[in-house]
Amino acid sequence: MTKRSSWIQIIIFTAFISVFFVINLILPDKGFSERENRELTKAPEFTLESLFSKKFGSKFESYTTDQFAFRDSWTTLKARCEFAVGKKENKGVYLCGNDTLIEGYKPPDKKQLDTNISAVKDFSENAGVPVYFALVPGNSEINSRLIPQNAPNSSQNEIIDYCYEKSGAKNIDIYSALADHADEYIFYRTDHHWTSLGAFYAYEKLMDSMGIAPAPLSSFSPVTVSDSFYGTIYSQSGISWVKPDTIEIFTEQDDTTEVMNYSGAEPSEGKLYDYAFLGKKDKYSMFMGGNTPLSTIKTKNTEAPSILIIRDSYVNSLIPFLQNDFSEIHVMDLRYYKVQLMTSTVTDYIKEHDIDEVLICYSVYNFGTDANVFMLR
Amino acid sequence: MVFSSILFMFIYLPVVLAVYYIVPLKWRNPWLFVVNLVFYGWGEPVYILLMLFSIIINYISGIYVGKYREDNIKKAKSVLVFNIIINLAMLMFFKYYDLFANTLRLIPGLEFIQPLGIALPIGISFYTFQTMSYPIDIYRGDSDVQKNFISFGTFVALFPQLIAGPIIRYKDVASQLGFRASSAEQFASGIRRFSIGLAKKVLIANNIGKLWDTYSAMASSDLTFVGSWIGIVAFSLQIYFDFSGYSDMAVGLGRMLGFEFMENFNYPYISHSVTEFWRRWHISLGTWFRDYVYIPLGGNRKGKARQLLNICIVWALTGFWHGANWTFLLWGLYYAVFLIIEKLYLLDALNRAPKFIGHFYTILVAVCGWVLFQLNSLSECGVYYKAMFGLGDGGFVSPVDSYYFTSFAVMFAIAIIACTPLAKNLFDRLPQKAKSFSTPALILLALIVCTGYLVDATYNPFLYFRF
Repeated sequence: MTKRSSWIQIIIFTAFISVFFVINLILPDKGFSERENRELTKAPEFTLESLFSKKFGSKFESYTTDQFAFRDSWTTLKARCEFAVGKKENKGVYLCGNDTLIEGYKPPDKKQLDTNISAVKDFSENAGVPVYFALVPGNSEINSRLIPQNAPNSSQNEIIDYCYEKSGAKNIDIYSALADHADEYIFYRTDHHWTSLGAFYAYEKLMDSMGIAPAPLSSFSPVTVSDSFYGTIYSQSGISWVKPDTIEIFTEQDDTTEVMNYSGAEPSEGKLYDYAFLGKKDKYSMFMGGNTPLSTIKTKNTEAPSILIIRDSYVNSLIPFLQNDFSEIHVMDLRYYKVQLMTSTVTDYIKEHDIDEVLICYSVYNFGTDANVFMLR
Repeated sequence: MVFSSILFMFIYLPVVLAVYYIVPLKWRNPWLFVVNLVFYGWGEPVYILLMLFSIIINYISGIYVGKYREDNIKKAKSVLVFNIIINLAMLMFFKYYDLFANTLRLIPGLEFIQPLGIALPIGISFYTFQTMSYPIDIYRGDSDVQKNFISFGTFVALFPQLIAGPIIRYKDVASQLGFRASSAEQFASGIRRFSIGLAKKVLIANNIGKLWDTYSAMASSDLTFVGSWIGIVAFSLQIYFDFSGYSDMAVGLGRMLGFEFMENFNYPYISHSVTEFWRRWHISLGTWFRDYVYIPLGGNRKGKARQLLNICIVWALTGFWHGANWTFLLWGLYYAVFLIIEKLYLLDALNRAPKFIGHFYTILVAVCGWVLFQLNSLSECGVYYKAMFGLGDGGFVSPVDSYYFTSFAVMFAIAIIACTPLAKNLFDRLPQKAKSFSTPALILLALIVCTGYLVDATYNPFLYFRF
């Protein structure tokens, strides 16, 4: 190497490491990462105790990577490189056709699943009212054909069959309802939830099972409320070059429909659609304003039956469809309603509020992993 | 601290280099001494004390061995023996105590022995060997006493090779500890070497290592014949690129600071015999054992039987050096067997046979050896070997294998080519001008892509944090 070439190499190398050293020093630390949908690590406080407990060192290291200048561009570059060398996934997320991001499904811990399903069974026997049970498969099941060939992706349908056989409840075949429309826009391409259209097909099936005539699709007029939605899978994946999702709503909140949320000490008025979330990262939380421990929805149809839904977040976009078919819809999230369930039971709640029917509705993923289902008593 | 981290590359290194080249020459060693301890103490501050203890003991031993060896060689020898005992005792206690305790507990009547759960001080196996070489070299008259405590401390804790080698012998760097000339050419060659090492570690080893993680964690019912080979070949590549990448970075960083360290790897996977493999793999360790164990034991000078015994001893120790688990001892003896067979019969035959035979055999031995090296227990090894020999529960091949193979095919191809000197030879044949232009571009490219992977590494989202 010539002397001149050596100097060029030295300048490039030292400039690269020192420029980023200085930029990182100057740029203010960021708080929330829109792209990754999480709080970035802040500079840890230095104390002798944190130093010797080794916490300081490891926290400082995550601080350096989290706050690295132009972090989002670096993670995109890494994802691009992965695909350039023939990988078909990044961070466990497959990049499928039509800009669809799908995470492969891993079978749940058998013990957790069995605990959950036996809780459902015992509850169905003792609830005193009809109990419906709906497990919602994700995009990795409904659109498994989009996933790279032979890629690890366990069957969710097998889990559903396993659970339905043991549930003792009135099982609702959400799988076929969705699979029949697999080609339609029933799942967000960048999020793990179903779209409002997906929720509609589930609604149809639900009503059929309950012996109620569902409102036909043609009776709804979908309105696009956002065309810039990037969901959770997008956040996880680092695959930043896909196009965003569109969020539609099919039916407005009826003027007479009253929503109450029981999140804090005092109940507060809620909405079926909280449009404030459309300005934030977490746009799916627009439905019902996100998960609450307990919400009640009272409609004008006082003659119709009342229903209690034990659920996860998929139900948030299903509720608007139910306005015309029930007098009261009680929505309970066991993950956040724990405290109240220490002193009373779900069965007590059913008696107290004169509930006619119960629907247990979970995504297969959450039902297999959630450790709170045992509180269903 | 590790080299392949944002912390090292974009905070530690620029500060260390800037101060090193700004301060007056006489302050360079004290500066290195301090930053070495910071580097070492980053993960485990308490062990700085252990490092300082080791430096002091060996520094003093060196002075006394040097003092006595002129007129009272017996006294010098007892100081040396005492020093070696302390060094080995330190290594034994911090690295092997729990293994010994857990093993002894299995004997009826000794159940009272409790393991202590000691966290292994990082790099202890490397720097203990390194410091031990110092009084031995003085005793043998191979080097002079280092009177300057700071210079000696700088040698022991020198951050580039502190945690993963190469294991440098004192006599090899003694002359560099005082005044080091530094030149732009040397610095630039250090940069090239560091960039190559970084790319090997971050882009190849980390990448292909994921595949081994997947396969080594697979249930025996899922592990197929083809899958087990994909997995262990991935590991064979991972460990080579990880380890040699680290050595490249060490050599490169050394050059940036004006040091020349010995080479540690020389394309081991192109070897045509196991004997050759070990001349090309982790050279500094092999050299250390040859100089300080094999030859003192008599080497090949005391008859064939004694030589074979010496080989067994050296390789049992070499294996055991790699980790506190009996499987490492077996792994060392596994190589002893092949080395002895080669020495007695095979080497001549291999030399006469077509080259690809020796090549194939060597790779097979190395690849099969890594199972023993990397899995934690003999029962795990048993399951894995069964699959590799087509006797496992998982069958011949599964669709998942073909997914992983196609996903990683390009990485495999890149890695296998990079195991050979092919790319280097082609690059060397470029005209001077092309080399001058492409080198800075390649360095920049490596830095940028590696930074992308490093920034992404701790991308560990908890997506429901705000939901």
